[in-house]
Amino acid sequence: MRSSGINQVRPRNKYELMIDLRRFGEPRLRGKYLFLSRIKSGRLRDLVDYLHWRLGGYYSTSIGVDERPLDGYFHVYHVFVLEEYGVYVLVDLIADPGHPVVESITPVVPAANWAEREIMDFIGVKFRGHPEPHRLILPDDWPENVYPLRKDYPYDDKLPTSDKIAKLVRESSPATWEPEAHGDHTVIPVGPYHPALHEPEYFELFVEGEKIVDARYKGFMVHRGIEKIAESRLSYNQVSFIAERICGICGFTHSTAYCQAVEEAAGIDVPERAEYIRSILLEIERIHSHFLWMGVAFHLLGYDTGFMIMWRLRESIMDLAEELTGSRKMYGANIVGGIRDKWDIRDDKAALIKRMLDEIREEYLKYIPKIISLEEIKKRTRGVGVLSRSDARKYSVLGPHARASGIKTDVRKYRPYAAYKYVNVEIPVLDDGDIYARMIVRHEEILASIDLIHRLLDNIPKTPLHADTSYIPERRHGIGCTEAPRGEDLHFVITGRDNKLYRWRPRAPTYNNLLSVPAMLREEYLADAPIIIASIDPCFSCTDHVVVVDLRSGRRRPLRTRGVVGGR
Amino acid sequence: MNRIKVLLENLRRGVVTEQYPFKPIRVPERLRGKPVIDPDKCAGCGACVNACPPNALTMRDDKHSSMRFIVLFIGRCIYCGKCEEACPFGAIRLTREFELAAENREDLYQVVGLRLYHCPLCGEPFTTVRLIKRVVEALPEEQRAAATLCPRCRESVTAHYRSYARR
Repeated sequence: MRSSGINQVRPRNKYELMIDLRRFGEPRLRGKYLFLSRIKSGRLRDLVDYLHWRLGGYYSTSIGVDERPLDGYFHVYHVFVLEEYGVYVLVDLIADPGHPVVESITPVVPAANWAEREIMDFIGVKFRGHPEPHRLILPDDWPENVYPLRKDYPYDDKLPTSDKIAKLVRESSPATWEPEAHGDHTVIPVGPYHPALHEPEYFELFVEGEKIVDARYKGFMVHRGIEKIAESRLSYNQVSFIAERICGICGFTHSTAYCQAVEEAAGIDVPERAEYIRSILLEIERIHSHFLWMGVAFHLLGYDTGFMIMWRLRESIMDLAEELTGSRKMYGANIVGGIRDKWDIRDDKAALIKRMLDEIREEYLKYIPKIISLEEIKKRTRGVGVLSRSDARKYSVLGPHARASGIKTDVRKYRPYAAYKYVNVEIPVLDDGDIYARMIVRHEEILASIDLIHRLLDNIPKTPLHADTSYIPERRHGIGCTEAPRGEDLHFVITGRDNKLYRWRPRAPTYNNLLSVPAMLREEYLADAPIIIASIDPCFSCTDHVVVVDLRSGRRRPLRTRGVVGGR
Repeated sequence: MNRIKVLLENLRRGVVTEQYPFKPIRVPERLRGKPVIDPDKCAGCGACVNACPPNALTMRDDKHSSMRFIVLFIGRCIYCGKCEEACPFGAIRLTREFELAAENREDLYQVVGLRLYHCPLCGEPFTTVRLIKRVVEALPEEQRAAATLCPRCRESVTAHYRSYARR
């Protein structure tokens, strides 16, 4: 490891941190955001090493922005979360439009791999020293030098498909999807459309007998380009509806994170009642999501009775959501600045929620202790798919997945938003790092969430439901974070003119968590692969990326499709 | 032993599935279902068209027939209810109807046609007859004449009057 510089004294607060970071570049503090621009040449990796490995922060994501119309440069923002200091450090790198190259941080923080490649695909900024600078998101037949998230690329453009590309696409029947030679191992392809998968994704598992020696994942089958639509066509209040549709399970957390990001950027204070309603709906969503995961997990373990029970309990939660919002999912409650009028929780509704939650809790507690103490459940999950604490740090995993590996992290507790500022949130943390631990963490969270909703309902104040949002200043950065059922959900926005966003980037928690899956699959039995993959509660449509990891050497390679890729 | 306890619990619980397609299902009070435009209330102002996130509502002026069409295509609707919030006349609202499968694509459209209003000076159509009527009714007597003109003619005429008024 490199030396962290002359100053070995650990900064005590965000102001000292700002002064400390002067040796790397020019820091500028605005509220919760510590922008660090003009990084001294050759110091970027030292800085990242210092932030991620020494200061106890963690790498969250990277965002590429085409800011040529504003200041003439491409910008890359690396977001680090330093919970201890209560700041987001945004390492702001600029790339010259003529020769857009910046230094890669992936060699220091492996978690940055996908985010950097996503920027290469969409903005066209190259990363010097990236271990696998290959395409991640765009399809293989996408032409070179066309970068869809640049501002000069129109959102309704039909791509000029050349004859050559069209021909290559015609020839690439699924049969030519030939896995790369991998010694004498047997290749087991799973996906992209497979009855056992609930979303389009593609895994290749390399097995030696019953042991998995290597795994590959190709995703991005359902990338729809909603960021471009939001930036080009939709107004601030319309985006919250498309944000809600990012995920069919945790949609409300996305729309909340989006609204919070705009509120942060514009400096809008959300009325307390709206914050409480947001938190209540978020907790309802968490309970339903965890029930769903439990059901899926039991199903994959071959215990379908458990699956049926969990999904029946989940149905009661869906009824509850329907009673409150009118929909099972897609609550449609969020607008920038608060909650829409019709979504108010009146006193009669509050009493109804309490009664229904008590019933669900009673029913749940009748079953769950019996189920999780079943011998076959324990045998299939204890010591399986272990992710050590150090690996969890390396891949910056989030949410219940991190909490099961002994990392104390929860946005609700350490960076409280919405009504979590006013109540104490209990977070379960276990050290085992196996699937059983993940199950127990989620089990505890269901009970904690039910308690939390009770407490929130008791204290809900009488204030208006939304703030005035008639003025949203231009060119402001905002980050909205929520604790989704799967971990930290981050939305980054830059406000623009004409009631539109300049840039919006949602980052779902599975984006970070999925990177840890190959590490968990190493040396496990093939029969355990489905439950290991499912144990992070993956949400592929939220995430959608590609990665290949050679498990033996830890080396990463691109996933190639023979005969399809023209001149990479 | 635990397995048997779970089984007993399930037996005690009995059947939980519902006979839905054969028996009606309970519809929650707040359900946002099929949006319906009341053609008698709609004035063709286009507020819902601006608010609609997925472009399920569109507006088209046909100069030949001198009609404005507000087109609602349920195939694109996401049932957010923004149109209901935006409508100043309460003309569009979300019903609790949710069984929307249709045999023809055409069945998913609702079209409201409104007569276009032409500016008495330049003859250009700029809004609907019904909307101008409502605007005029809501205005005090002395402002009514100017309100019937299209924005461009109104600007030139009122500028003319104002320039005299100053002297």
